[in-house]
Amino acid sequence: MKVTIHIWDLPHRLFHWLLAASVIAAYVTATIGGELIDWHGRLGIFILGLLVFRIVWGFIGSTHSRFSTFFPTFSRLSAYLKGQWHGIGHNPLGALSVIALLAAVAVQVGTGLFANDDIAFEGPLFDFVDKSVSNQLTSLHSTTFYVLLALVVLHLIAIIFYRWVKKTNLVAPMLTGKKEVPVALAATHYQGKGFGVIRFILSLIISSTVMWGVSSGASQLYSAQSPQQTVPANSSF
Amino acid sequence: MKKKLTLAILLAATATAALAGPIEENIRWRQSAYSFAAWNVQKIKSQVVDHPDTYNKDSVTAAANAIAAVANSGLGALYTEGSDQGIGWKQTRLKPEFFLKKDEVTKLANTFNEAANELAKVAATGDVNLIKTQFGKVGESCKACHDLIRIKE
Repeated sequence: MKVTIHIWDLPHRLFHWLLAASVIAAYVTATIGGELIDWHGRLGIFILGLLVFRIVWGFIGSTHSRFSTFFPTFSRLSAYLKGQWHGIGHNPLGALSVIALLAAVAVQVGTGLFANDDIAFEGPLFDFVDKSVSNQLTSLHSTTFYVLLALVVLHLIAIIFYRWVKKTNLVAPMLTGKKEVPVALAATHYQGKGFGVIRFILSLIISSTVMWGVSSGASQLYSAQSPQQTVPANSSF
Repeated sequence: MKKKLTLAILLAATATAALAGPIEENIRWRQSAYSFAAWNVQKIKSQVVDHPDTYNKDSVTAAANAIAAVANSGLGALYTEGSDQGIGWKQTRLKPEFFLKKDEVTKLANTFNEAANELAKVAATGDVNLIKTQFGKVGESCKACHDLIRIKE
C-alpha cells in the first residue's frame, strides 16, 4: 500500500534544475567563445551562488535536503550493500553521486574564478594570482570538465536505469517534489510540505553575498590595493 | 681556482645557449607579438565591452589597427621547423600538430587576418555595437588556433 509524500522541497528542486541548465549553458558559451565568454563568466558566478545555496540548505533545509539525512556514512553504505537500507531519499550510492557531482562542480567553479583565456577573458579573481598560476588553474579547469562530464553521463544513465530496469521514476519527484512510498516507510519520515521561509531567505542572502563578494567585491578590494584600474589607453605620443 | 672559473663560465654559457639561437629568437618575436596584441585586445574590451562609458574612438581605432598590423605582419614566418621546442621569453606552447596540419592552420590564420582587418574597419566607424560584435569574432578566431595548436599549460 503506497502513499504520496513530499520529499524534495521547492528550493531544492529549483537548485537542481537551475544547476543543470546553468552547467549546460556554461558549456555552450565556453565552446562558442567570442562574445559569449563573458556570459560563461556570469554563469560561473551564478553556479557558485547555487553551490553555496545548496551547501547552506544542506544544513538548514527540509529533512531530505539535509546532508545529515543522506550522507553516505560507512554504516549506511554497508547496510545498503547488504540490502538493509530502507530510506526514501537518496540511497547511499545516490548520495555518493550527489557529493561527487557537487565536488566536481565546486572544483570547476573554483578554478574558473582564477582562469584566463589568453585573449580577452579573465576570471573575477584573476588579479589575485600570478599569470602562470592562473594558467595552471585554467588547465585544471579544462581537465575537470571531463570529470564533470563523466559524472553527469553517469547520473543520466542511473536515472534511465532506474526508470527502465527498476521501474522507478526519479524525474517526476524532482519536478513535483512528491513521491510514492510504502506506507510503512512513510510513517517513519517527516512529511511536511513546507520549508523554513526565513531559512530560505537566509540561504539566499548568504549565497548572494558570496556572489557579490567574488565579482564586484573582489575587484574593489584589488583596485584599493593597486591604483591602475583600467587598461592604459590614452597618451600624447 | 682556474678550474672552478672555467666550469662556471661553461655552465653559464650552456645556460644562455639554451636561450640563444634563431629558433629561440623566433619564439621570442612571436610571443612578443601576441603579448602586444593582448594589450590592444584588453584596451578594446575595456572600452567597448566592460566600461563603455570610457569609450574613446581614437584609442579603440588605434588598438584595432595594432591588432590588424600584428595579424598582417606575416607571423607564419616565425613558426620555423622545430620551433615547437624551445624557450623564448618562456617555454613555447606550440604543439607539433602545427607542422602536421599546415592547411588547417593556414585557414585559421587567414580567418584571424580577415577578422582583424574587419575590426579595424569597423572601429573607424565608431559604432560601438558593431565593434563589439566584430571584436567577438576576432576572439573566436584567436581561440580557434589556440584550440588546435597550443598546449594548455
